[in-house]
Amino acid sequence: MNDNPIVVDDLVKYYDGRCVLDGISLAVPRGCIYGLLGRNGSGKTTMIRILLGLEPPTRGRTLVFGEDSTRLSAKAHGRVGYVAEGHNLIQSYRVSRLISLCKGLSLHWNDEFFGHLMETFRLPMDRRVRELSAGMRAQLNLALAMAIDPELLILDDPTLGLDTVARRQFLELAIDVIQRQGRTILFSSHILGDVERIADRVGILLAGKIVVDCTLEELKDRVKKLRIIFPERVPDDLFMTEIINRQSQGREMVLTIANWNPQKRAILETFKPASCAEVPMSLEDIFIECTRPASTPALQESEV
Amino acid sequence: MLTLIGRELRDNLAHLILAGSFSFCTVAIAIVTAYWGISWISLPISGIMGIILVVLYTSLGAVQMYTDRTNRVSSLLATLAATRSRILAARVLTGSLIILATLVPPLITAVAIMSLEEAPLVFYRATIAEVFATVVLTSFACYCVGLLLGWTTIKAFPVFGLLFLMALVVLLVVIKGFVLTAIVLLLLFSVACLAHVWCRFTSLPL
Repeated sequence: MNDNPIVVDDLVKYYDGRCVLDGISLAVPRGCIYGLLGRNGSGKTTMIRILLGLEPPTRGRTLVFGEDSTRLSAKAHGRVGYVAEGHNLIQSYRVSRLISLCKGLSLHWNDEFFGHLMETFRLPMDRRVRELSAGMRAQLNLALAMAIDPELLILDDPTLGLDTVARRQFLELAIDVIQRQGRTILFSSHILGDVERIADRVGILLAGKIVVDCTLEELKDRVKKLRIIFPERVPDDLFMTEIINRQSQGREMVLTIANWNPQKRAILETFKPASCAEVPMSLEDIFIECTRPASTPALQESEV
Repeated sequence: MLTLIGRELRDNLAHLILAGSFSFCTVAIAIVTAYWGISWISLPISGIMGIILVVLYTSLGAVQMYTDRTNRVSSLLATLAATRSRILAARVLTGSLIILATLVPPLITAVAIMSLEEAPLVFYRATIAEVFATVVLTSFACYCVGLLLGWTTIKAFPVFGLLFLMALVVLLVVIKGFVLTAIVLLLLFSVACLAHVWCRFTSLPL
């Protein structure tokens, strides 16, 4: 048994001379819910497409269940459920025909679970896929991906276009899949609240590089936001490694820093701050700090 | 594989019906000619039938690939328990089945008529085999050119290049006739086209 259903090794992808992925390496362990985050155009979808063999890499390799993505066998494909960004379904087919096609091309088909999903979503079987709303297409795509009882579920911004109720339904379904032992999920989303709710490991892509790859707890533990008040003005010579963001105004400085440790605390103490308070950070706050442009010169070096 | 072939057949039902109609007409013409003595088989009619075959099979290949590319069919299928090679194999197999479904009934009819008329079949066996093989391979070559055309994004140069190639194939048969050399050249041409389609289909982004 392979312990890492997904392995990405020094992955590089160029599009028309533009580097989209720049030496990405990561591994997603079995049973892990991996939240892949990044701003628009950061390379999340490209990485997922390379993983599924839909796109060839420029350099490096990706393995799914130990098989190279460029030569993924039908058996390996059959173990992966995929919900694509924009819900890539055959638009001219009727819902019923698309379902029978997917059923015919699956290794396992959980009729009971699929029936339950269709009952929940109430999708019209006689309508063509292009006649469905974006939300309905998302639900259909999700139901098709879930029905094959996937060992690995890859969700590329799956809740895009779903209303709040449908999004909640989706998350509950995802949790249902998670509860089945050994299931692995790679989950890319812009709704960080969703990721925070279900992910236990996160990766943040920035300008084609992976700047964060650790568990959610570790990330929250290692990235700290500090509000520091100095007796007079903020010192100009406060230098530390792995500063993600620094904003100063008068006596107050708000510092976002990676790998906060006693040594760094000791350095800060030498400037004799009047007070130093930790500001609680959600995943969204961390993400914004990590992907903030321009004002974060230390970001590239401060990989967490 | 059967699911993939079934999907291809259903998606190309129009071509299947056209091919069936062509086959039916050919059989009808052969029977009418043999039993009522009305000579419908002439050079212009044979020429028209040849053109119909060329257009039918080229369009079949082109439509198969073009609808795949525009509807992004393979980008869905390739995420299910199917590989790109299997998807293409199912497509080519379906195309070959449609070609054979069009051409085998006229062959059977011709052989049956010859048997009923007590023609020396042993004497004609080699000629029948050569004619049949040439027609099947010409059809298959046209189909392969269609596959290439359908997967090419519309650009004048490759499209005209492929149409020029197809004209060469047809001229080859017209000039050389139904002989072994033509069969070998058609076979090589088809294999080269298929290899090119396979390389492009399995390596390009879906």
